[in-house]
Amino acid sequence: MNPPDQNTPAMPPPQLETAPPLEARLHPTPPQPPPQPLQPEPPLPEKPDTKSLFEALLRRPHALMARLADGNHGATGRFVMLTVVSFLLFGVVLGCFAKHQQLWAAPVKITFGLLFSAVICFPSLYIFSTLAGARVSVSQLGTCFAGALALAGLLLLGFVPAVWIFAESTDSFGFMGSLAVGAWIIAVMFALRFLKSVISATGGTQPGPLIIWNTVFLLVTLQMTTSLRPILGHSDHLLTQEKRFFLQHWGITFGDSLAPQVDAKPPATTPEAVTPPPSGTTVPQRGGSSSSDNHRLQAAIPLG
Amino acid sequence: MRPPPRRVLWLACVACAGMAVYGFTVGYWRDPVMGGYVAVKMPLLVALTLVCNGLLNGLLAALLGTGLGFRQSLVALLTAFALAGVILGSLAPATFLLAWNAPPPGSPGTQNAHDAYLVTHTLLIGFAGIAANIHLHRLLAAKSPTRAAATATLLAWLGGNGFLGAQFSWILRPFFGMPGLKVQFLRDHPLREGNFYQTVWRAIHKISGDFAVPVLLGVLVILAIPIVRAIQSNHRTTPKP
Repeated sequence: MNPPDQNTPAMPPPQLETAPPLEARLHPTPPQPPPQPLQPEPPLPEKPDTKSLFEALLRRPHALMARLADGNHGATGRFVMLTVVSFLLFGVVLGCFAKHQQLWAAPVKITFGLLFSAVICFPSLYIFSTLAGARVSVSQLGTCFAGALALAGLLLLGFVPAVWIFAESTDSFGFMGSLAVGAWIIAVMFALRFLKSVISATGGTQPGPLIIWNTVFLLVTLQMTTSLRPILGHSDHLLTQEKRFFLQHWGITFGDSLAPQVDAKPPATTPEAVTPPPSGTTVPQRGGSSSSDNHRLQAAIPLG
Repeated sequence: MRPPPRRVLWLACVACAGMAVYGFTVGYWRDPVMGGYVAVKMPLLVALTLVCNGLLNGLLAALLGTGLGFRQSLVALLTAFALAGVILGSLAPATFLLAWNAPPPGSPGTQNAHDAYLVTHTLLIGFAGIAANIHLHRLLAAKSPTRAAATATLLAWLGGNGFLGAQFSWILRPFFGMPGLKVQFLRDHPLREGNFYQTVWRAIHKISGDFAVPVLLGVLVILAIPIVRAIQSNHRTTPKP
């Protein structure tokens, strides 16, 4: 036990009445209002519209969860719609890399891949969140999961202009694939953070199960990019039957380019220096290739 | 509280004016017409970056807990760009004198003049950017409920805007104007000439051979140190409860 501090006076020293400093007299400050107590978050409306749900996803996840616990909120359908529209738009932008068939195939594959991943991972999410200690119903968790995916979709929409700029500027599968996967990982991190707050708010205390489930979900979505290939490049076939692990596939195709490899020449700096290809030579352009190149491209698609 | 449109317009005008005046002096050395082009392109670079990343910046500010809305995020970033514009605009007379007195393109000392011009402007733009970001962090730290939220938001904005802004600066070339190339507003195929990052990577690879990755990491660390120090300094000057 610590001894009492001998230097501390038993009685407070008498307060001397001193004049305020000159500065204070010359510029008296108005009395400061007392600090206001924090206002509790207003609850969400009975039937939240899309704007309210969007705002709650971003700023008020706890209010959203409280509202979703009541049921009869109609939020699930809106979240799914937001997810589908966001991923379709993101897919269209990714399809701009190779153009042609990928303008419709890439959005369809990405949206289908995400929804399929969500469906196959949802049972384990419920089990793992229960293991973490959460007391949450299946429907509430389903709505929150849909909300998390909608949040990821909205963030991907935020990346759309940047991804489009690079889709038009680069031919490198490695760069484009890294950009798309990077955007997805950032988006899914925020989505999983939202799910974590759901689990915590409903009584979940163990972080382990959710970390494992997060890893599983991320791996499933990344594998889906390879299973549904080609997504970035183009080929004669809509899907490929060859089975590959996504890391293996990325390793094989990272250095490939959408443009054909031509002889190493210094880049032309003026239009006059650009010479046309010799007659009879086929030089496939972006967004279109000769059929002989399709076989190479089919195996050269990093995101699939 | 939503910032009034008049304030947004005022900030945009200040940013544009400062960047335009400075941009003119950047291109003036190559050709007065080039100066006019760059006077348009520098504000355009800022506008394109802010517009294209507007949704992402707003989303990140909300998700990272600053309490800023979309319009407030835009105004905060616009304020930072306006400050950078003011700093650069104030330096414009000096850089104009630099361009006026540098050996003109085609003279014996052209290459040296171009190199010195490039380095000087890079340093000045870098200084203005750092000052603007320090100001932005101070503003975020004052508005955010926690210091961590302000720092995370600043870093997220820096990453996103820097990543896209670098590519836009690549697309909007030329700015300085190589002496051997013709004066033009944009290159012939601005979107088809590769991207900024692949070019930087190739240049590092060419210079350093097999040590490209360590060299790149070293450059990133060197860039990160002043940012982290500035953020720590801001934390000391803006106490939060």
